[in-house]
Amino acid sequence: MKRILRDTCILAALMILCVFTVSMIWVGMTDEIRLVICLFGLSFVISLANYFIDEYTTLPILKCYAVKYVSASGIVMLFGFIAGWFYKSNFWMAFIYVGIVLVMAYFVDAVRTRRDIEFINSKIKSKTVHVNK
Amino acid sequence: MKIETREVKGQPLTVVIEYPEWSESVESLYKKIGRMDLSFTGKCDDRSVNIGISDIFYIENVERKLFLYTRDEVYRFDGTMADIENNMYDTGLVRISRTCIMNTDRLKEIRQIKNSHLEAVLDNDEKLIVSRKYLADIKKIFKRKAL
Repeated sequence: MKRILRDTCILAALMILCVFTVSMIWVGMTDEIRLVICLFGLSFVISLANYFIDEYTTLPILKCYAVKYVSASGIVMLFGFIAGWFYKSNFWMAFIYVGIVLVMAYFVDAVRTRRDIEFINSKIKSKTVHVNK
Repeated sequence: MKIETREVKGQPLTVVIEYPEWSESVESLYKKIGRMDLSFTGKCDDRSVNIGISDIFYIENVERKLFLYTRDEVYRFDGTMADIENNMYDTGLVRISRTCIMNTDRLKEIRQIKNSHLEAVLDNDEKLIVSRKYLADIKKIFKRKAL
């Protein structure tokens, strides 16, 4: 199921990219196309920032997500102001958008980490039992 | 597949593969056994020593210098992390952080410690910090071993 969901998201992203690229060639730049390109650019910058956070820090899971929250909110706000998504009165909405995504990601990550640890330890245990036999 | 073992004193460890016909599975077995014999040359007190992969507990990069850790000894390795990574396919070695490669054959337990850090406990009770990012790679090794 996890793989189907992941493949669905990748396929949807590719479809959106293809459709909007063709539209851009056909009808030129519209607001919708600009929005999609901005969203892809935003995702790339956030992923890059997350990569460096994961690679160069060994923070506990909660602190790691807190750092990612601050960095992603900053990037979204910066992008939002440049692209004109936010006005001075509603810039705080970036914190809510990023917060919702990161809270979901945190829970998925925490469950996955626990399961991976259980899996690895069970394999080590079964190996030890075999050796002892 | 028939597995036979026999003790031959005074001889180096020898593995003979008898096969009715050379096939992909025989080749895979041949490569796998070959990789078990992989070794790195480490330096300790100006002498060079060949260290078998099974004797290595972990490899650490400390200030751009590589060190091979066995149960009780530490050796300097004149190579790069990339040299090791190029040779570690299908072995028990796996990267667990930006600066450390661990031998999963020497892993006793992985646990989540108080502040949610991940810690690998090795057979000699040494503890290493594991980056969550690399946990999936460790899992992959154990999945592959189970096959």
